[in-house]
Amino acid sequence: MKIAISYPPIINERGQTAMVSQNRNVQFFVTPTYLLPVVHAQAATWLRDLGHDVLWDDGNAQVKSFDRWYADVLEWAPDMIVFESTTPVMKFYWNLTNRLKQDLPDCIAVMTGYHSMRKPEETMQESATDIVMRSNHIDFVLSKLVPYMTDHADWRSSCDLEGLHIRVNNGEVRNTGNFKQVEPLDRSPDVDRNLVGWKNYAYENGNFLQTPGTYATSVIRDCTFGKCTFCRYNGPDLTFSIRSVEKSLDEYQRLIEEEGVREIFDDSGVWYRGQEARQFAQGLIDRGLHKKGCYFGLNTRFAYLDEETIRIMGEANFRFILLGLEACDDETLQRLNKGYTVGDVARNLEWFTRYGMHPHLTVMVGYYWQTSEQLQGTVDTVRELMFKGLARTLQVTICTPIDYTPYHQECLDGDVLLTDDYDDFDMSEVIVKTPIPHEAYYKAVRSMYGVVFHPRFILRQLLFLLSFRKRDWQFLFSYGWRALRRVRNHIFNLTSAGSSKSPPKPGSVSPQPDPVGAAH
Amino acid sequence: MNHKVIGIRDLTASTYVLQLERNGVAFKAGQCISLGVKDHGLNREYSTYSGEHETDFEFLIKEVAGGTVSCALRCVRPGDEVTFSGPFGSFVLDAPQDLSRRYLFIGTGTGIAPFRSYVRSHPDIDWQILHGVRTLEERYDHQDYDPERYTACVSSETGGDYHGRVTTYLRENPVDPDTICYLCGNSAMLTEVFDILREQGVSGNGLFTEAFF
Repeated sequence: MKIAISYPPIINERGQTAMVSQNRNVQFFVTPTYLLPVVHAQAATWLRDLGHDVLWDDGNAQVKSFDRWYADVLEWAPDMIVFESTTPVMKFYWNLTNRLKQDLPDCIAVMTGYHSMRKPEETMQESATDIVMRSNHIDFVLSKLVPYMTDHADWRSSCDLEGLHIRVNNGEVRNTGNFKQVEPLDRSPDVDRNLVGWKNYAYENGNFLQTPGTYATSVIRDCTFGKCTFCRYNGPDLTFSIRSVEKSLDEYQRLIEEEGVREIFDDSGVWYRGQEARQFAQGLIDRGLHKKGCYFGLNTRFAYLDEETIRIMGEANFRFILLGLEACDDETLQRLNKGYTVGDVARNLEWFTRYGMHPHLTVMVGYYWQTSEQLQGTVDTVRELMFKGLARTLQVTICTPIDYTPYHQECLDGDVLLTDDYDDFDMSEVIVKTPIPHEAYYKAVRSMYGVVFHPRFILRQLLFLLSFRKRDWQFLFSYGWRALRRVRNHIFNLTSAGSSKSPPKPGSVSPQPDPVGAAH
Repeated sequence: MNHKVIGIRDLTASTYVLQLERNGVAFKAGQCISLGVKDHGLNREYSTYSGEHETDFEFLIKEVAGGTVSCALRCVRPGDEVTFSGPFGSFVLDAPQDLSRRYLFIGTGTGIAPFRSYVRSHPDIDWQILHGVRTLEERYDHQDYDPERYTACVSSETGGDYHGRVTTYLRENPVDPDTICYLCGNSAMLTEVFDILREQGVSGNGLFTEAFF
């Protein structure tokens, strides 16, 4: 079977490109940023291994215009095309699927992604999609579904693989039930780097201090915690599964020794913790990979990694540590089910910085309950953490309910959403009723990003140079320059807000800023 | 939020029950709580072990070799405070008020914790517990369960209800496809049991899992 795993270029009116492949949210980026969709890349690898003709078709990373991308798809004429969708681009995908089904009526359109997964009936109704996959185990499902299709002409009516909505020939939709929640992750193959053109993603990604960088095949599918209300990795339909440490270490070794990768990031919802985390870091050391000039990075949570683990990680050459600091008041953290308190934050950051790592904070504002005091608490705490050097980079986003997460459902149930047009869910502006004017949240975003121009922040970066660690010098002279460039773009965007979006909305701060120094 | 320790009840050399003041916190049986030692900056999630209507919270905790939180929590004393966040999670009974349903709860090791919470919270439901353990002493609080409803599958010792693993037991004792099955334990067990139950005709809609790690 000819299968295209496709990411069409989605470019908004401001010339920004949507990255739907990011693990928790869609984001529109001004500067080129290409994120490897790891699970779909594993699916492509698996299908290719099964003998199918697979087209890895990321129009963004391959720097195609939409028209060029579409023409190429028509020319290749796949038997199956697989998309990944999320709330703010659902309408785009529905329209695209309808158009594609007119031009390639025999092509089986498969919709994956967290929005359609939770609202499969909607996508079946709004588009000519043939299959909605309710599973986030895309690789596992496709590896069973495609062979079934090739062996059974009547697959639409006979296939009983869990977690599918299938359009049968008379227009009726079959629901095959809940998808299988746990899969042995080691059975899914490592991403074939050549198949996905890994170098297309190796340079334009703010997470990397050194290039070429790449994303590892994630050690965790979904999230070990899986309770945060705003996050996609939450719900009775999700659990997590874990890869073996040795298998992941083997991949790291190959990436470093055979591909010459100089920075590896693992975009698991939350990375290993405890024993596995220590085994992995120690494994890097035992294999000598910590001395190959390659940095390692990961997502984790506050209150998850202990100091001894962090010490070994420091020795193993971990650098980029991405931590969600969604707010700096305990009420908000509690409402978001974060499972840590503000009191945990500074202590954890001290451990990471003590052992030479560069914590990156992902901050959010604009919750429907967020008061002026709560907001100011976040701004003040974040700025102080940056001034003290406890965090090196940050990203501030507007919390936007998407993909029918518990937070999204809360907003619907509480009638606080200001729009039901999915196009408005693009994180470019606050779309919920709030106790204070929206402008206050935009101002807070500017204030936190503005920290990079502050003399205290700059002085702190200079002081880091006294450690004579290579990474600190790199940070100041390459990453720092990149950060300043991004903030400059961001401030330019803020000053032109409201003039480019049609129709403009009061208090608009769009577009969504690029993160300072990093893609997440 | 901090909760005061009421006591620690040792079950085996490595496993204990931590009792905490309830402080009026409501939860649904099977949800979990993040617990940590004060000022340690770390926490871990533990499923509730006590029932929804009980005065105190109980958590079934196994000390993990090299673990930080599970070992530190064993050292707390009555009157100490531990950090407490939650409840979280959705591994809860779907419709416990519907008494016509038949439930099979399959857990390994401390994966029995949410099921004890279920049956103490909803004593009228029709349930069976299948508990996979290695040794007899790991049949944590087995005396609390109606012996007609509790089956211990003991893999490394004889003297339990069944000598062998839960997976072998399930192959030898197929499940009625209409049974609603809840699975809690490590991922490998969940995967294997899930496949067995699906082969026996249990609908994917009637299977719920919670991975312990």
